[in-house]
Amino acid sequence: MRIFALALLSALGFAVPALASTPRTLDIGPGEEVWFQEDHTVPMVAITIALPAGSVYDPAGKEGLAAFAAYMFNEGAGPLSSEAYQSQIANRAIQLTMSPDRDWLILSVSTLTSQAKDAFRLIALALQHPHFDADAVERVRAQMLQAVQQDASDPAIVAADHFYSVYFGSHPYGHPIDGDTAGLMAIRAADLKTFAATHWVKGGARIAVSGDIDAATLTGLLKTTFDPLPAVAPPAPPPVVHPGHPGETVVPMAVPQPTALFGLPGLARADKDYLAGYVANYIVGGGGFSSRLTTEVRVKRGLTYGISTGFADFHQGGLVLGQVATRRDAMDASLAVVRQVLADYAAHGPTAAELADAKTYLTGSYPLAFASNVGIASQLNAFERAGLPLEYVARRNSLIQALTLDDVKRAAARLFDPGRLTVVVGGSIATAATGGKAARKPAAHN
Amino acid sequence: MSRSLLLVAVLSFAAIFSAPASAAESVTQFALPNGMQVVVIPDHRAPVVTQMIWYKVGATDDPPGHSGLAHFFEHMMFRGTKAEPGDSFSRLVAKNGGEDNAFTTEDYTAFYVQIAKPRLKLAMSLEADRMAHLDLSDASVTTERDVVLEERRMRVDNSPAALAAEQVDAALYLSHPYGRPVIGWPEEVHRLDRTHAQAFYDHHYAPNNAILIEVGDVTPQEVRAAAATTLALVPARPLDPRPTYAEPVRLGPTRLAIASPDTPVPSFSRTWRVASYVEGTPGRAEALDVLAALLGGDSNAVLYRRLVVEKKLATDAGATYDGDARNAGAFSVYAVPRPGVSLPQLESAVDAVLAGFARTSPAAADLAHIKTQLVANDVYRRDSQLSLATAYGQALAVGRTVADVQDWARHIQAVGPDAVRAAAAGALVPRESVTLYLTPGKP
Repeated sequence: MRIFALALLSALGFAVPALASTPRTLDIGPGEEVWFQEDHTVPMVAITIALPAGSVYDPAGKEGLAAFAAYMFNEGAGPLSSEAYQSQIANRAIQLTMSPDRDWLILSVSTLTSQAKDAFRLIALALQHPHFDADAVERVRAQMLQAVQQDASDPAIVAADHFYSVYFGSHPYGHPIDGDTAGLMAIRAADLKTFAATHWVKGGARIAVSGDIDAATLTGLLKTTFDPLPAVAPPAPPPVVHPGHPGETVVPMAVPQPTALFGLPGLARADKDYLAGYVANYIVGGGGFSSRLTTEVRVKRGLTYGISTGFADFHQGGLVLGQVATRRDAMDASLAVVRQVLADYAAHGPTAAELADAKTYLTGSYPLAFASNVGIASQLNAFERAGLPLEYVARRNSLIQALTLDDVKRAAARLFDPGRLTVVVGGSIATAATGGKAARKPAAHN
Repeated sequence: MSRSLLLVAVLSFAAIFSAPASAAESVTQFALPNGMQVVVIPDHRAPVVTQMIWYKVGATDDPPGHSGLAHFFEHMMFRGTKAEPGDSFSRLVAKNGGEDNAFTTEDYTAFYVQIAKPRLKLAMSLEADRMAHLDLSDASVTTERDVVLEERRMRVDNSPAALAAEQVDAALYLSHPYGRPVIGWPEEVHRLDRTHAQAFYDHHYAPNNAILIEVGDVTPQEVRAAAATTLALVPARPLDPRPTYAEPVRLGPTRLAIASPDTPVPSFSRTWRVASYVEGTPGRAEALDVLAALLGGDSNAVLYRRLVVEKKLATDAGATYDGDARNAGAFSVYAVPRPGVSLPQLESAVDAVLAGFARTSPAAADLAHIKTQLVANDVYRRDSQLSLATAYGQALAVGRTVADVQDWARHIQAVGPDAVRAAAAGALVPRESVTLYLTPGKP
């Protein structure tokens, strides 16, 4: 069995299958960018729309505004009440999800081909004529306030919220996407309306569509949806001046298993080492069961169910973010292993074998992202948000193949210096019977 | 990076969508000489394949005093064979551009690999190898047991809601092992050792207890050819018979009031033991699926409209039905109160909605709309190889057939208004229920 597998591997090399079909751009006017992949196998259409409407645009004192507006997307529009709008969506079996993040509001829509026209009509209504009726505003506010309360008992969420706050300081990336109690209480219907008018715009919008529709029909539907929207993109958010806050912060919570988030300054998408860094990250922490961190922390020591690192890209720069959860008396030991693995990796980089394996995984698994309409729309939209050209879809694998061991070693050294780690632990730590630990400062806020 | 999907939330969600509108996918089914069942569903849009192996063994097969063994054993399947020691399985899959994972429920354990089409035979040979030649060592058992305990802390012990849900299940089933958590009680997980794992492997992991599902850029001929030199060579083994358990009629309802200092927001839920697709008389499970969708499938459903939008008593409310089980199914309703609303107030409002459904059949238009929604999910499912493979694997693993999956949409269309009323009146009876009040406070 093993011989068979190894024989296959040596032949594998660069025989990565091509994608079945290729995407194209559609020109629907200045401002928005549209990528489209046509496929008539399944009678449905998947649409991903990203608008420059993330939490980075929340005004100080109104934290949560972007998310609040996002969750109001299906609460009535044009002639339709909240109830009528949601009935029309549901009765046509249209699937609509609003996902606000730090830079973007991402709208994911799936519709049967037979309902595509109505799906675009309903999206257009919400984008062009959203309601912010008092009844719905208070309902969504109550839900968001309760979610803030709920989140305060979840160590992974507490760790993440504190991490962003510590890492980004007073920059608007620093507050939770879903806001906080004071911010949510301060938001008025007029704030929501103004936010939608300035951020639900075609200026800077990124749109990807995949499925059972032809280009002419889609172009017509997109024009009707987006033409009436303002073409002006909102002003860019302020730059991040001093990302990171090296050291360790513990937010005390009485839970059996604390979660640690650990982060390092990442690379901008335009950085020449970006892809090399992406590969370097895969090897040390991004590669599921084959990463160095999983091998050391989970497989060899049984300290955790999951440990990983990943690129978190923002308009204003990159972040490499890692996460590990373990029992209270094993957190110090787990973080010590993390520091040791990263230090060794920054100093020596990957081996040639690790790089070869990373390349075959990253290039070989690429087609998996293009196996469904929902996957294609989502993947294409991610490339658009990163500011990449359409040709990147086809070139991406050859760019990864072209990376040398020196490229990836250089990126690993740039990225994984443990001395720059910002660590935030949600949940109280118990000291193991043996072994010392570093002094920590108390949580900045609680 | 989950190595297993324990809670059935995702699976019960999938259960609602169990089958094609018009059986649009082409399904080929055959058996290998060693008894392994095979299902092939071509999807040639991308040059990739999703392979799932479903073993007809789950937490119900855990021996008394050793809850969690089936799930723990799922983890051990990634700990190496003589030919592919250590974590070679996942390393080889990754090296070849693939993804892999697994999950365990009460009734079955499933392993999957998604990989480029030319690597299909590799995926099969790796599964064949660990089906026949797993190499269990004391050291890997001890380390992996720690991993499972960390998984339990993450999924259950850290979460008052998950701990409460565990207690609801324990109370709902008087005797049936569905009352035990799939991940196991911690003190019993601590006891699991290499001998238990080896016995479990020897008596349950065999081709004659497995279902192979291949969805993607393959043909039945290609699957047959690749299986012939890999999975088909694994010899059949004698299996431990799966025990059958009594499910005594409950004579009265159970109420649980759980207070926990780590619960920031109170909540109400009620869960009934009801018929599953396997156990139910024809049409009963379909009627329960329709009822759950009408009652609480989304923010357009009656519970949300009545409690959240109109009466302003709740911030969230819904209902679910999990009918894909070898034995009993489960039906649940839940609601989260707005600040200042008491749980008894909320419960009365839920009761009023339920009483309405038990008394009056749904309007024809509402019924038609909900059927459109349910049946449309067959189309959406065809967009995802993993969803399609899961629908068929799950059904076959609990004893249903390919035809059951393909006829599901037709059966849903046949559900009449009175069948929905009858399901509400006949299945959601107090004696078969556990009601939970989960509140902040001292236990």
